[in-house]
Amino acid sequence: MKLRFEGRTWAGSAIDFRGAETTVSPETVFEAIRDGEDERVTCPEPRPIHGHVGLVVPDIEFDRTDALSAAARSRGSHAPVDDELRAVRERLEALSPASINLRSARRRVADASGAESELRERVASLQGRVRALRDTGGDPTTAEAELATATGELAEAETERIAAEQALATAREQARESRENRRERLRLQDRERNLRREARAHLAEQLRSEFDAALDRFSDEDSTAQALAVLHVADVRAPVVVACETRFESVESAADWLDAPVVRV
Amino acid sequence: MLLVVTYSREARQTLRNVCNTHEESVVQRFGRAALFEATELGAFLALRLREKHDADVQIERTVPFNEFETVGDDVRTAAREYESRDQPSTSYAKFAAGTDCPDPEAMADREL
Repeated sequence: MKLRFEGRTWAGSAIDFRGAETTVSPETVFEAIRDGEDERVTCPEPRPIHGHVGLVVPDIEFDRTDALSAAARSRGSHAPVDDELRAVRERLEALSPASINLRSARRRVADASGAESELRERVASLQGRVRALRDTGGDPTTAEAELATATGELAEAETERIAAEQALATAREQARESRENRRERLRLQDRERNLRREARAHLAEQLRSEFDAALDRFSDEDSTAQALAVLHVADVRAPVVVACETRFESVESAADWLDAPVVRV
Repeated sequence: MLLVVTYSREARQTLRNVCNTHEESVVQRFGRAALFEATELGAFLALRLREKHDADVQIERTVPFNEFETVGDDVRTAAREYESRDQPSTSYAKFAAGTDCPDPEAMADREL
Protein backbone atom coordinates (compact mmCIF):
# COMPACT_ATOMS: atom_id res chain seq x y z
CA MET A 1 0.00 0.00 0.00
CA LYS A 2 0.99 3.62 -0.47
CA LEU A 3 -0.19 6.49 1.73
CA ARG A 4 0.21 10.19 0.94
CA PHE A 5 -0.69 12.58 3.75
CA GLU A 6 0.52 16.07 4.58
CA GLY A 7 3.00 16.10 1.69
CA ARG A 8 4.72 12.86 2.71
CA THR A 9 4.56 9.36 1.34
CA TRP A 10 4.67 6.01 3.12
CA ALA A 11 4.87 2.62 1.43
CA GLY A 12 4.98 -1.00 2.56
CA SER A 13 2.75 -3.54 4.29
CA ALA A 14 3.33 -2.23 7.84
CA ILE A 15 3.28 1.51 8.32
CA ASP A 16 3.67 3.30 11.65
CA PHE A 17 2.51 6.91 11.93
CA ARG A 18 3.57 7.22 15.57
CA GLY A 19 6.55 9.48 15.96
CA ALA A 20 6.10 10.73 12.40
CA GLU A 21 4.75 14.07 13.61
CA THR A 22 1.53 13.71 11.61
CA THR A 23 -1.82 15.02 12.74
CA VAL A 24 -3.75 12.59 10.54
CA SER A 25 -6.52 10.87 12.51
CA PRO A 26 -7.19 7.11 12.34
CA GLU A 27 -10.70 7.89 10.99
CA THR A 28 -9.24 9.98 8.13
CA VAL A 29 -6.94 7.15 7.06
CA PHE A 30 -9.76 4.59 7.38
CA GLU A 31 -12.20 6.69 5.32
CA ALA A 32 -9.53 7.26 2.67
CA ILE A 33 -8.91 3.51 2.45
CA ARG A 34 -12.65 2.85 2.02
CA ASP A 35 -13.07 5.57 -0.59
CA GLY A 36 -11.81 4.16 -3.86
CA GLU A 37 -11.66 7.68 -5.33
CA ASP A 38 -9.36 9.05 -2.62
CA GLU A 39 -5.95 9.63 -4.24
CA ARG A 40 -4.12 9.78 -0.93
CA VAL A 41 -4.27 5.99 -0.66
CA THR A 42 -3.24 3.28 -3.10
CA CYS A 43 -4.33 -0.17 -1.90
CA PRO A 44 -6.55 -3.15 -2.73
CA GLU A 45 -10.28 -2.49 -2.52
CA PRO A 46 -11.74 -3.17 0.94
CA ARG A 47 -14.30 -5.97 1.30
CA PRO A 48 -17.36 -5.87 3.55
CA ILE A 49 -15.29 -7.31 6.44
CA HIS A 50 -13.55 -3.92 6.54
CA GLY A 51 -16.74 -2.19 7.60
CA HIS A 52 -16.84 -4.34 10.73
CA VAL A 53 -13.25 -4.40 11.98
CA GLY A 54 -11.15 -2.37 9.53
CA LEU A 55 -10.61 0.35 12.12
CA VAL A 56 -9.47 -1.07 15.44
CA VAL A 57 -9.98 1.51 18.18
CA PRO A 58 -9.98 1.02 21.98
CA ASP A 59 -13.27 -0.59 23.09
CA ILE A 60 -14.25 -1.18 19.45
CA GLU A 61 -17.90 -2.14 19.14
CA PHE A 62 -18.98 -4.62 16.51
CA ASP A 63 -21.38 -7.54 16.11
CA ARG A 64 -19.34 -10.71 16.37
CA THR A 65 -21.68 -12.87 14.33
CA ASP A 66 -21.89 -10.28 11.55
CA ALA A 67 -18.11 -9.79 11.54
CA LEU A 68 -17.33 -13.53 11.54
CA SER A 69 -19.81 -14.10 8.75
CA ALA A 70 -18.15 -11.32 6.72
CA ALA A 71 -14.81 -12.97 7.49
CA ALA A 72 -16.09 -16.27 6.11
CA ARG A 73 -17.36 -14.45 3.00
CA SER A 74 -13.94 -12.84 2.57
CA ARG A 75 -12.54 -16.36 2.28
CA GLY A 76 -15.07 -17.23 -0.38
CA SER A 77 -17.35 -19.32 1.85
CA HIS A 78 -20.99 -19.86 0.95
CA ALA A 79 -24.08 -20.58 3.00
CA PRO A 80 -26.59 -23.26 1.99
CA VAL A 81 -29.30 -20.60 1.66
CA ASP A 82 -27.28 -18.41 -0.73
CA ASP A 83 -29.12 -19.62 -3.83
CA GLU A 84 -32.52 -19.00 -2.33
CA LEU A 85 -31.33 -15.64 -1.03
CA ARG A 86 -30.23 -14.65 -4.52
CA ALA A 87 -33.54 -15.76 -5.99
CA VAL A 88 -35.48 -13.79 -3.38
CA ARG A 89 -33.42 -10.67 -4.07
CA GLU A 90 -33.94 -10.99 -7.82
CA ARG A 91 -37.69 -11.27 -7.31
CA LEU A 92 -37.62 -8.26 -5.02
CA GLU A 93 -35.81 -6.20 -7.63
CA ALA A 94 -38.32 -7.20 -10.27
CA LEU A 95 -41.24 -6.05 -8.11
CA SER A 96 -42.18 -2.42 -8.49
CA PRO A 97 -45.73 -1.88 -7.27
CA ALA A 98 -47.50 1.01 -8.96
CA SER A 99 -48.42 3.89 -6.70
CA ILE A 100 -52.14 4.47 -7.07
CA ASN A 101 -53.25 7.68 -5.44
CA LEU A 102 -56.91 7.45 -4.47
CA ARG A 103 -57.02 10.73 -2.59
CA SER A 104 -58.28 12.87 -5.49
CA ALA A 105 -60.79 10.20 -6.51
CA ARG A 106 -62.16 10.04 -2.93
CA ARG A 107 -62.37 13.81 -2.73
CA ARG A 108 -64.20 14.01 -6.05
CA VAL A 109 -66.84 11.55 -4.80
CA ALA A 110 -67.28 13.48 -1.54
CA ASP A 111 -67.58 16.82 -3.36
CA ALA A 112 -70.01 15.45 -5.94
CA SER A 113 -72.21 13.82 -3.28
CA GLY A 114 -72.27 17.04 -1.27
CA ALA A 115 -73.23 19.14 -4.28
CA GLU A 116 -75.94 16.67 -5.24
CA SER A 117 -77.49 16.68 -1.74
CA GLU A 118 -77.56 20.48 -1.64
CA LEU A 119 -79.26 20.69 -5.03
CA ARG A 120 -81.72 17.97 -4.08
CA GLU A 121 -82.78 20.06 -1.06
CA ARG A 122 -82.99 23.19 -3.19
CA VAL A 123 -85.21 21.45 -5.77
CA ALA A 124 -87.48 20.17 -2.98
CA SER A 125 -87.88 23.61 -1.43
CA LEU A 126 -88.52 25.25 -4.83
CA GLN A 127 -91.13 22.59 -5.61
CA GLY A 128 -92.79 23.49 -2.30
CA ARG A 129 -92.71 27.18 -3.14
CA VAL A 130 -94.21 26.65 -6.64
CA ARG A 131 -96.97 24.50 -5.15
CA ALA A 132 -97.73 27.10 -2.46
CA LEU A 133 -97.88 29.93 -5.00
CA ARG A 134 -100.24 27.94 -7.21
CA ASP A 135 -102.44 27.02 -4.22
CA THR A 136 -102.70 30.63 -3.08
CA GLY A 137 -103.27 32.04 -6.57
CA GLY A 138 -99.90 33.78 -6.66
CA ASP A 139 -97.65 34.10 -9.75
CA PRO A 140 -95.34 31.04 -9.83
CA THR A 141 -93.46 32.09 -13.02
CA THR A 142 -90.19 33.14 -11.34
CA ALA A 143 -90.19 30.20 -8.95
CA GLU A 144 -90.92 27.81 -11.83
CA ALA A 145 -87.95 29.20 -13.78
CA GLU A 146 -85.71 28.78 -10.74
CA LEU A 147 -87.01 25.25 -10.26
CA ALA A 148 -86.28 24.39 -13.90
CA THR A 149 -82.70 25.67 -13.55
CA ALA A 150 -82.16 23.82 -10.26
CA THR A 151 -83.60 20.60 -11.70
CA GLY A 152 -81.17 20.82 -14.60
CA GLU A 153 -78.28 21.42 -12.23
CA LEU A 154 -79.36 18.47 -10.10
CA ALA A 155 -79.34 16.17 -13.12
CA GLU A 156 -75.80 17.34 -13.93
CA ALA A 157 -74.67 16.88 -10.33
CA GLU A 158 -76.09 13.37 -10.29
CA THR A 159 -74.24 12.51 -13.49
CA GLU A 160 -71.01 13.86 -12.00
CA ARG A 161 -71.51 11.87 -8.78
CA ILE A 162 -72.03 8.63 -10.70
CA ALA A 163 -68.96 9.32 -12.84
CA ALA A 164 -66.91 10.08 -9.69
CA GLU A 165 -68.05 6.86 -8.03
CA GLN A 166 -67.13 4.86 -11.11
CA ALA A 167 -63.69 6.50 -11.27
CA LEU A 168 -63.13 5.69 -7.61
CA ALA A 169 -64.22 2.09 -8.11
CA THR A 170 -61.75 1.75 -10.99
CA ALA A 171 -58.94 3.33 -8.97
CA ARG A 172 -59.72 1.05 -6.01
CA GLU A 173 -59.47 -1.95 -8.30
CA GLN A 174 -56.05 -0.77 -9.50
CA ALA A 175 -54.96 -0.12 -5.92
CA ARG A 176 -56.03 -3.64 -5.03
CA GLU A 177 -53.76 -5.07 -7.72
CA SER A 178 -50.87 -2.88 -6.60
CA ARG A 179 -51.44 -4.00 -3.00
CA GLU A 180 -51.09 -7.62 -4.08
CA ASN A 181 -47.62 -6.65 -5.30
CA ARG A 182 -46.90 -4.75 -2.10
CA ARG A 183 -47.96 -7.70 0.01
CA GLU A 184 -45.68 -9.95 -2.01
CA ARG A 185 -42.85 -7.46 -1.59
CA LEU A 186 -43.34 -7.42 2.16
CA ARG A 187 -43.37 -11.22 2.26
CA LEU A 188 -40.14 -11.37 0.26
CA GLN A 189 -38.48 -8.71 2.43
CA ASP A 190 -39.27 -10.74 5.54
CA ARG A 191 -38.03 -13.89 3.84
CA GLU A 192 -34.84 -12.13 2.78
CA ARG A 193 -34.18 -10.94 6.30
CA ASN A 194 -34.64 -14.42 7.74
CA LEU A 195 -32.42 -16.00 5.09
CA ARG A 196 -29.74 -13.38 5.69
CA ARG A 197 -29.83 -14.11 9.39
CA GLU A 198 -29.65 -17.84 8.68
CA ALA A 199 -26.69 -17.36 6.32
CA ARG A 200 -24.86 -15.16 8.83
CA ALA A 201 -25.30 -17.66 11.64
CA HIS A 202 -24.12 -20.51 9.43
CA LEU A 203 -21.05 -18.65 8.14
CA ALA A 204 -20.05 -17.39 11.59
CA GLU A 205 -20.34 -20.92 12.97
CA GLN A 206 -17.90 -22.16 10.31
CA LEU A 207 -15.15 -19.94 11.71
CA ARG A 208 -16.09 -20.20 15.38
CA SER A 209 -13.40 -22.68 16.45
CA GLU A 210 -10.69 -20.95 14.39
CA PHE A 211 -11.71 -17.67 15.96
CA ASP A 212 -11.61 -19.15 19.48
CA ALA A 213 -8.12 -20.51 18.80
CA ALA A 214 -6.95 -17.11 17.53
CA LEU A 215 -8.40 -15.44 20.60
CA ASP A 216 -6.31 -17.71 22.83
CA ARG A 217 -3.26 -15.73 21.75
CA PHE A 218 -4.42 -12.82 23.89
CA SER A 219 -4.38 -12.79 27.68
CA ASP A 220 -7.15 -10.18 27.78
CA GLU A 221 -10.02 -11.21 25.50
CA ASP A 222 -11.62 -7.77 25.27
CA SER A 223 -13.29 -6.35 22.16
CA THR A 224 -9.94 -5.25 20.70
CA ALA A 225 -8.59 -8.80 20.99
CA GLN A 226 -11.80 -10.11 19.44
CA ALA A 227 -11.53 -7.70 16.49
CA LEU A 228 -7.91 -8.75 15.91
CA ALA A 229 -8.92 -12.44 16.10
CA VAL A 230 -11.65 -11.84 13.48
CA LEU A 231 -9.05 -10.15 11.23
CA HIS A 232 -6.73 -13.11 11.76
CA VAL A 233 -9.27 -15.64 10.50
CA ALA A 234 -10.48 -13.36 7.67
CA ASP A 235 -8.84 -12.93 4.28
CA VAL A 236 -8.04 -9.22 4.49
CA ARG A 237 -6.35 -7.42 1.63
CA ALA A 238 -6.98 -3.74 2.25
CA PRO A 239 -4.99 -2.06 5.03
CA VAL A 240 -6.30 -2.31 8.58
CA VAL A 241 -6.05 0.87 10.64
CA VAL A 242 -4.98 0.16 14.21
CA ALA A 243 -5.41 2.96 16.73
CA CYS A 244 -4.84 1.11 20.01
CA GLU A 245 -2.41 -1.21 21.76
CA THR A 246 -2.12 -4.32 19.60
CA ARG A 247 -0.16 -6.42 22.11
CA PHE A 248 2.31 -7.20 19.34
CA GLU A 249 6.03 -6.45 19.47
CA SER A 250 5.90 -4.35 16.33
CA VAL A 251 3.61 -3.21 13.54
CA GLU A 252 5.40 -5.74 11.30
CA SER A 253 4.59 -8.65 13.58
CA ALA A 254 0.95 -7.47 13.79
CA ALA A 255 0.80 -7.37 9.99
CA ASP A 256 2.32 -10.86 9.87
CA TRP A 257 -0.13 -12.36 12.34
CA LEU A 258 -3.13 -10.63 10.79
CA ASP A 259 -1.79 -11.46 7.32
CA ALA A 260 -2.90 -8.00 6.22
CA PRO A 261 -1.39 -4.58 5.62
CA VAL A 262 -1.46 -2.55 8.84
CA VAL A 263 -1.35 1.19 9.50
CA ARG A 264 -0.61 2.05 13.12
CA VAL A 265 -1.97 5.53 13.83
CA MET B 1 -64.64 0.43 12.93
CA LEU B 2 -61.64 1.44 10.84
CA LEU B 3 -59.59 -1.34 9.32
CA VAL B 4 -55.97 -0.30 8.74
CA VAL B 5 -53.77 -2.61 6.65
CA THR B 6 -50.08 -1.98 6.02
CA TYR B 7 -48.01 -3.14 3.05
CA SER B 8 -44.40 -2.35 3.90
CA ARG B 9 -41.97 -3.00 6.72
CA GLU B 10 -41.83 0.65 7.70
CA ALA B 11 -45.60 1.06 7.69
CA ARG B 12 -45.99 -2.14 9.71
CA GLN B 13 -43.53 -0.82 12.28
CA THR B 14 -45.34 2.52 12.52
CA LEU B 15 -48.62 0.66 13.02
CA ARG B 16 -47.07 -1.32 15.87
CA ASN B 17 -45.83 1.88 17.48
CA VAL B 18 -49.23 3.54 17.11
CA CYS B 19 -50.98 0.51 18.61
CA ASN B 20 -48.57 0.47 21.56
CA THR B 21 -49.04 4.18 22.20
CA HIS B 22 -52.80 4.41 21.67
CA GLU B 23 -54.25 1.21 23.05
CA GLU B 24 -57.49 2.99 23.93
CA SER B 25 -58.22 3.53 20.21
CA VAL B 26 -57.21 0.04 19.08
CA VAL B 27 -59.95 -2.59 19.07
CA GLN B 28 -57.88 -5.44 17.68
CA ARG B 29 -54.40 -6.04 16.28
CA PHE B 30 -53.47 -8.56 13.58
CA GLY B 31 -49.77 -8.21 12.82
CA ARG B 32 -49.69 -5.89 9.83
CA ALA B 33 -53.30 -4.81 10.24
CA ALA B 34 -55.43 -3.41 13.03
CA LEU B 35 -58.97 -2.32 13.81
CA PHE B 36 -59.28 1.20 15.22
CA GLU B 37 -62.28 2.64 17.03
CA ALA B 38 -64.65 4.56 14.77
CA THR B 39 -63.87 7.83 16.52
CA GLU B 40 -62.18 10.97 15.28
CA LEU B 41 -59.09 9.90 17.18
CA GLY B 42 -59.14 6.53 15.40
CA ALA B 43 -59.48 8.34 12.06
CA PHE B 44 -56.69 10.75 13.02
CA LEU B 45 -54.32 7.86 13.77
CA ALA B 46 -55.23 6.09 10.53
CA LEU B 47 -54.74 9.28 8.51
CA ARG B 48 -51.37 9.91 10.13
CA LEU B 49 -50.27 6.47 8.98
CA ARG B 50 -51.43 7.23 5.46
CA GLU B 51 -49.67 10.61 5.45
CA LYS B 52 -46.45 8.88 6.43
CA HIS B 53 -46.60 5.79 4.23
CA ASP B 54 -48.99 6.74 1.43
CA ALA B 55 -49.93 3.74 -0.73
CA ASP B 56 -48.47 1.30 1.79
CA VAL B 57 -51.47 1.96 4.02
CA GLN B 58 -55.04 0.93 3.29
CA ILE B 59 -57.93 2.30 5.33
CA GLU B 60 -61.41 0.78 5.14
CA ARG B 61 -64.46 1.35 7.26
CA THR B 62 -66.18 -1.79 8.51
CA VAL B 63 -69.90 -2.05 9.25
CA PRO B 64 -71.57 -4.44 11.70
CA PHE B 65 -72.75 -7.55 9.92
CA ASN B 66 -76.32 -8.71 10.49
CA GLU B 67 -76.98 -11.72 8.30
CA PHE B 68 -80.73 -11.41 8.85
CA GLU B 69 -80.69 -7.95 7.26
CA THR B 70 -78.17 -8.42 4.47
CA VAL B 71 -78.23 -12.09 3.43
CA GLY B 72 -81.03 -14.06 1.89
CA ASP B 73 -82.54 -17.02 3.66
CA ASP B 74 -81.25 -19.42 0.97
CA VAL B 75 -77.63 -18.49 1.65
CA ARG B 76 -77.98 -18.74 5.44
CA THR B 77 -79.67 -22.14 5.12
CA ALA B 78 -77.03 -23.35 2.65
CA ALA B 79 -74.25 -22.44 5.07
CA ARG B 80 -75.96 -24.26 7.92
CA GLU B 81 -76.74 -27.37 5.88
CA TYR B 82 -73.31 -27.60 4.30
CA GLU B 83 -71.58 -27.41 7.66
CA SER B 84 -73.65 -30.37 8.89
CA ARG B 85 -72.93 -32.49 5.79
CA ASP B 86 -72.18 -36.18 6.17
CA GLN B 87 -69.07 -36.32 4.02
CA PRO B 88 -66.41 -33.77 5.08
CA SER B 89 -64.64 -34.22 1.72
CA THR B 90 -67.66 -33.13 -0.36
CA SER B 91 -67.05 -29.76 -2.00
CA TYR B 92 -69.81 -27.18 -1.69
CA ALA B 93 -70.36 -27.06 -5.45
CA LYS B 94 -71.02 -30.79 -5.46
CA PHE B 95 -73.15 -30.56 -2.34
CA ALA B 96 -75.33 -27.83 -3.85
CA ALA B 97 -75.82 -29.51 -7.23
CA GLY B 98 -79.46 -30.58 -7.74
CA THR B 99 -80.64 -29.07 -4.42
CA ASP B 100 -82.21 -25.73 -3.50
CA CYS B 101 -78.85 -24.49 -2.27
CA PRO B 102 -77.51 -21.58 -4.38
CA ASP B 103 -74.48 -22.48 -6.47
CA PRO B 104 -71.21 -20.69 -5.64
CA GLU B 105 -70.92 -18.85 -8.97
CA ALA B 106 -74.40 -17.38 -8.66
CA MET B 107 -73.58 -16.22 -5.12
CA ALA B 108 -70.31 -14.69 -6.30
CA ASP B 109 -72.22 -12.53 -8.78
CA ARG B 110 -74.75 -11.24 -6.28
CA GLU B 111 -73.70 -8.24 -4.19
CA LEU B 112 -74.95 -8.04 -0.62
